[in-house]
Amino acid sequence: MAEEGRIHLALFKDVYPATMALDKLRELGIPEKDMTIVSGVPYSDRILGRPKYTTRLPRYSLVGFVGGFILSLLLNWGTPYLYPIHVGGQPIYPIPTTILLTFELSMLGLILFTFLGVLFESDFPSLGPKVYHPEISNGKVAVVFDCPPEIHTRVHESLAALGAEWVHRTEAKQL
Amino acid sequence: MTADAVPLSQPQVYDEEEDPRQHLMLDPRPREEMNSMVMEAMHTTTREYWIVVGVLTFLVVVCLFGAWGYMIATGMGVAGIRRPTMWGIFIANFVFWIGISHSGTFVSAILRVFKAEFRRPFTRAAELMTTFGLAAGVMYPLIHLGRVWVSYWIFPIPNQRQLWPNFHSPLVWDMLAITTYLLSSTIYLYMPLIPDVAMARDRSTGWRYKFYRLLALGWRGTENEWHNLRTGINIFAFAIIPVMFSVHTIVSWDFAVTQTPGWHSTIYGPFFIAGAIFSGVSAVTMILYLIRATMVNMKYFVREEHFDALGKLMLIFSFTWAYFYFNEYLVEWYGGDLAAKTVLKAFTQPPYGWVWYLMLFCNMAVPWLLLWNKRVRRTPWLMFVIGFLINIGMYAERFIIVPTEISTNRFPFQWGDYYPRIELLISIGSISLFLLLYAVASRLIPLIPVWEVQEGQLAHSLKRFGKHEVATKSELE
Repeated sequence: MAEEGRIHLALFKDVYPATMALDKLRELGIPEKDMTIVSGVPYSDRILGRPKYTTRLPRYSLVGFVGGFILSLLLNWGTPYLYPIHVGGQPIYPIPTTILLTFELSMLGLILFTFLGVLFESDFPSLGPKVYHPEISNGKVAVVFDCPPEIHTRVHESLAALGAEWVHRTEAKQL
Repeated sequence: MTADAVPLSQPQVYDEEEDPRQHLMLDPRPREEMNSMVMEAMHTTTREYWIVVGVLTFLVVVCLFGAWGYMIATGMGVAGIRRPTMWGIFIANFVFWIGISHSGTFVSAILRVFKAEFRRPFTRAAELMTTFGLAAGVMYPLIHLGRVWVSYWIFPIPNQRQLWPNFHSPLVWDMLAITTYLLSSTIYLYMPLIPDVAMARDRSTGWRYKFYRLLALGWRGTENEWHNLRTGINIFAFAIIPVMFSVHTIVSWDFAVTQTPGWHSTIYGPFFIAGAIFSGVSAVTMILYLIRATMVNMKYFVREEHFDALGKLMLIFSFTWAYFYFNEYLVEWYGGDLAAKTVLKAFTQPPYGWVWYLMLFCNMAVPWLLLWNKRVRRTPWLMFVIGFLINIGMYAERFIIVPTEISTNRFPFQWGDYYPRIELLISIGSISLFLLLYAVASRLIPLIPVWEVQEGQLAHSLKRFGKHEVATKSELE
C-alpha cells in the first residue's frame, strides 16, 4: 500500500458487509491491490470475492526437501568414504539404512523450510507499528485500504451506509 | 428427499439427549466472550495450583536432576541394569514417552486432514502433549548413556579419539528421527498458536504483553497472513504424518533388528504405532479431563461429545493393538523356535507374570468391557480412569518388551531378573517434568485454539429437513 497517511480502516461486524465494502471500493476506483481484509478467522478468496491467491510456500517446501536430500546423500556416502568402517562383511554403503536416513533428513529440510517460508512470505517477525484494530481479534472484520484524499469523504459515507461500525483514516501503531 | 432444506425459522424444543446445543460447534458464543473465557482460564491460578506446581518442581529437581546427577557422579552401578538386562526401564520410559507424543500428531494432523470437526477445541492440548512428551522422552537416551558428556560422539565429526561414528547405526536413526519429530511437532504446535497469542497480546499488559507480542511475531490477520498460515499448516499436516509413523517405527526397529527372541519381528513397526496412538489418545483424554476439571470456563469448550469421540478412538485402537499383539504372539508360538517359545512362557511366569496379565486387563478387558457403552464414554471422570488404566497397561507392555524379554535370551546361563533402583526415582521425575511443563504452559498460552473453534462454529448450522432439524456443515475453506 501507499504512504501511511492515506490508509483507512473500516470495521464491520460481519464478513458479508465487508465483502460489500470491497465491491464499493472497487466501484469508487480503488485498485484491488490497495485493499485487504483483516479478520480473526480465515476466509477463502471465494468468500471474500477476491482474486485467487497463489502462494509460493510449496516451493519453499520443495527446496527444503531437496536440500535435506542432498545433505543426507553427503552424509550417507561421504562419512563412510572418508572413514570406511568394515563391519563383518557388511557393505560400506548400505542401501536400506541410507533410505531411512535420507527420508528423515529430507523431511527435516521440508519442515524447516516450510516454516521459514511462512515467516518470509508473511514478513514475520515484524514487531514495528502497523495498521490494526484490537476488535479484529474479537471477531470484527476490518477492511484496510489506501484511499486518495479527494474521495475519502465519499468512501467513508459509502462504507458507513454499508454498516461500518468505525471508519477512519488511521495510522500505524505499535501492536 | 426433496431438496427443500430451509434455514431455521423457529426454535425447536428438544430432549436433553437430542439438543444440538450439546455440540460445541452448534452452540456458538460471540468471539469476544470466547476470548475472555480463554484469557480468564489462563489468568486464574488458585492456591492449589501453586501447591501442585511447587510439588512438581521439587520432584523434578530432586527425582530427575538430583537422581540423575547422583548417577552421573557415582556411576551406572546405582541403577538396576546389569547383565543380561542392559536395557531397563530407562528404555521402557523412552518408548512410553515417544508413544505418548504420537497423540498430538494423530489428533491434530490426521483428524485435520480428514476434517473431523470434534478435534477443534483440543488440538492444542494434544499438540502440547506431543512436545512435552518428546521433551521427557528425549532425555532417556542421554540418561541411559551414562557418560552423557560424550553424547556428541554420535555426530559424524572427528573427535579427540579420532573415532568416526557409523552414520548408518540405529543410534543415528533414533537421533535423526526424534530430532525431526521434535522440531516438526514444536513448529506444528506454534503455527496455529500465532493468531491466538495475537489475541492474548491485544488483551494483556506488562510482561505478558511483551511475551505475547514476541510470540505473535506481528500477526494482524491479513489475507496474506492467513493464506500463508493455512497453507503452512496444511503442508505440515501431511508432512508430519509420515514423520510420526517413521519415528515409532524406528524406535521399534531398535528392537526388531536384533536377534533377541521376542524382539526379532517384522510386525514390530505397525504394532508400536498402534500402541503409541492407543496410549496417546488415552493420555489426551486424561489431560482433557484435568483441563476441564481444574481450569475455569473449560466446560464450555471440552464437552461430553469430545470424550465420546475419543472413547471410540480408544476402543478402535485397543482392537488394533490386540490384533497386532496376538498376530505377533501366535506366529512366534506357532513358529516353534525354542528361544521364542521360552520368552512367551516367561511372560506368564514369576517374577513379572503379573505385569503381563495387568497389560491384558488394562489394554483389552477394560476398554472392551466399558467403551462400547455411550454413557461411559460421555462420563468424563470415568474416561479419565479408563485412560489412566490404558496407560498403565501400555507402560506394562513396554516393561514386558524391554527388561522382561531381554532377560530371557538365547542363553539360559545368562538369564537374570531385573529390579529397577534409581530408575524409579528418575521415572517419577520425568513424569513430574511433563506435568510441570503442562501446568506452566496452561497458564501461559491459550490452550483452546479460539480461532479454530470460531471457524468451526461459523461453518455449522441447523437446517430443517422435513420435520426435523439437522446439523449441516458448510465448506468454508
